[in-house]
Amino acid sequence: MTLLEMIFTPDFFFSILRITAPILFATLGAVVAEKAGVTNIGLDGIMMMSALFGSLSAYWSGSWFVGLLVAVIVGILEALLMGVFAFNLKTDIILVGIAVNMVGSGGTLFLVKVITNMTEGTALASTTSLITKALQIPTVNIPIIQDIPVVGQILSGHSILTYLAFILVFLVWVLLYKTPLGLNIRSVGENPNAAASVGVSVLKIRYIAIAFSGAMAGFGGAFMSMYYAMGWSLDMVAGRGFIALAAQAMGAGEPFGSMLSALVFGFAQALGIKISALGVDSNLVSPIPYIVTILGLVVFALVTRARIKRARAAKAAQAAAEAK
Amino acid sequence: MNKKRSMMFSLVRGLMAILIALGVAALLIFISAEATNIGDRFVQTFGALRQLLISPILRNNGSVNVKNVTDVLAAMIPILFTGLATCVMFSANQFNMGAEGGIMLGAFVTALVAIYVPIPGGLLPIVAILIGAAAVGVMMLIPSILKVKMGVSEMVCSLMMNYVVMYFIKYTLNTQLADKSRGQIMTFPFQENAAIPQLIDNGSKLSWGFVVGIVFVILTALFMYRTRWGYAIRMIGINQDFAKYSGMKVGGIIILAQVLGGVLAGMGGGIEMLGRYSTYAWSSLPGYGWTGITVAILAGNNPAFVPLAAFFMAYLNKGCNLMSTYSGVPAQLIDIIQAVIFLFFAAEQFLSGYRQKLVVKSAQEELQRQAEQAAAEGSVK
Repeated sequence: MTLLEMIFTPDFFFSILRITAPILFATLGAVVAEKAGVTNIGLDGIMMMSALFGSLSAYWSGSWFVGLLVAVIVGILEALLMGVFAFNLKTDIILVGIAVNMVGSGGTLFLVKVITNMTEGTALASTTSLITKALQIPTVNIPIIQDIPVVGQILSGHSILTYLAFILVFLVWVLLYKTPLGLNIRSVGENPNAAASVGVSVLKIRYIAIAFSGAMAGFGGAFMSMYYAMGWSLDMVAGRGFIALAAQAMGAGEPFGSMLSALVFGFAQALGIKISALGVDSNLVSPIPYIVTILGLVVFALVTRARIKRARAAKAAQAAAEAK
Repeated sequence: MNKKRSMMFSLVRGLMAILIALGVAALLIFISAEATNIGDRFVQTFGALRQLLISPILRNNGSVNVKNVTDVLAAMIPILFTGLATCVMFSANQFNMGAEGGIMLGAFVTALVAIYVPIPGGLLPIVAILIGAAAVGVMMLIPSILKVKMGVSEMVCSLMMNYVVMYFIKYTLNTQLADKSRGQIMTFPFQENAAIPQLIDNGSKLSWGFVVGIVFVILTALFMYRTRWGYAIRMIGINQDFAKYSGMKVGGIIILAQVLGGVLAGMGGGIEMLGRYSTYAWSSLPGYGWTGITVAILAGNNPAFVPLAAFFMAYLNKGCNLMSTYSGVPAQLIDIIQAVIFLFFAAEQFLSGYRQKLVVKSAQEELQRQAEQAAAEGSVK
């Protein structure tokens, strides 16, 4: 068996989808927020917080659905709080995001120590022992497709959230381009003054957009602690919120393009995991997604630049033709 | 609004932000207190807050705890440098978060020089730290040049680089450089002459690095407010288009700001390494970069205020550690306090009603003064 055959197995492609899903959720959050002119760099911190409360609520209630619901609600609430600071108190949105990420890192550890101390008697540094198989977000086998060889192995048997992430790509596109709300979101992002002049409440639209990004980060967080890993642990999101920002930029802020970028990162990470399983030092493999992110941004910048140049050249040629 | 009033407003505003943060802290401590009845909870909360606020300086009997004070001062050293680094970069409106990876890389490179390069006497620490600082300066060329030449977000790029730096160091440390005779993963010890001498030898690790830090605060403040380049950096931060149209080389200045930030962060890492440790053992990002961002925000991106902000953060951090030791409240409370202070400091509209009142009052006084003056002039005629 060659090395390529060892790497590109059906379960490798399965793992790409699994790894992409949380990044994709956050990416869709970034896409909608950015369309409304809001740069939400707090996605990473929100995912941490949602991951924590999702796993704890699932444990307390004994139901994964309650855990998921709480994770999303926590995400929305945190995003709305960001909105209060950014829109009402006029804090730079980047700084608000940094603060949210601070809380997402050390603050979640504080909370988990305090909360588990109250319920368990001992202070846990993670909730990994709390999420059992029964509390995991369930997986589904898709009828018919699951029976197709290879394709079935890759596409069937994912968690419902994985499917939701990819379905949401389409729904977000519909939201942005086929609904009045989407038109308002885009107009607020493009030119808030013009939007305000025709009676759109810029503040309201921005709140809606940031709350949506919070909900997406909430889904991503729940995925991390209730499916990807069995419970919350410190810094488990590991920069996925930031990778999502890069995916949004590389996808030029459009849902489908951003999904493709997110898949590139998923591929890079899946490849890294596969290679380290073959015996390569994990410290050598772990930085791959981050390097790919930087390279991706560079490639995107080059492509955009070439496109702009071509557009300019075409315009100049047209102008020259008209002048004649 | 006159200068005195606006100073007072800044002061009141800062104090309010701190009070709100402490209020949040008190609430969280109250919730996390172990006691079951309300009265005991209040007592516990009060005790924990006392630990947080007073114990970094005073013992229970009211005498000054010198060891704790020197601990706080020693803890200021790395965040002085990351704070300065962030000040310089944020002043140019460059949201580069690379101070975190920068301080780790600076510490690592400095450590390597201190272990493997034979340089005589007191020259070794100086050369080692300078090489460490230069390495981080070179590293910052990546996000800054990508930003200037291609418009790649320096923020995302620097965040990604932090992870790359961390894994690179972990890899080389684990596979190449580790002293296998030790139980933990660490390098071989530094050469003996690499250590930075201590200011006070009481175990706090308050080294001469503190003095160097203060010197660099002064140098950075002079650079930012008394030189052409510092002016250009600040002007780009205030209005990049204006800077461009008034003939400044915006791209070069943006690169300069980030490279300088890198040099400062790297220097902080090197000084922390040689002032506190005798071997390199950091295997994860130390967190000083994030604290440095808070320090810069508290200082309003003005290097002159960095020591005050760094002292404040080091003090709170020490308080949180003592509190967790004596009253069981997790020390990570510091991250929540930090975030709350940070948010209110950065909030432009926070207490804007109060500012409005002050402005109106100033204007009324001014008008009244003018009227009196006019009346006085009239009576003379």
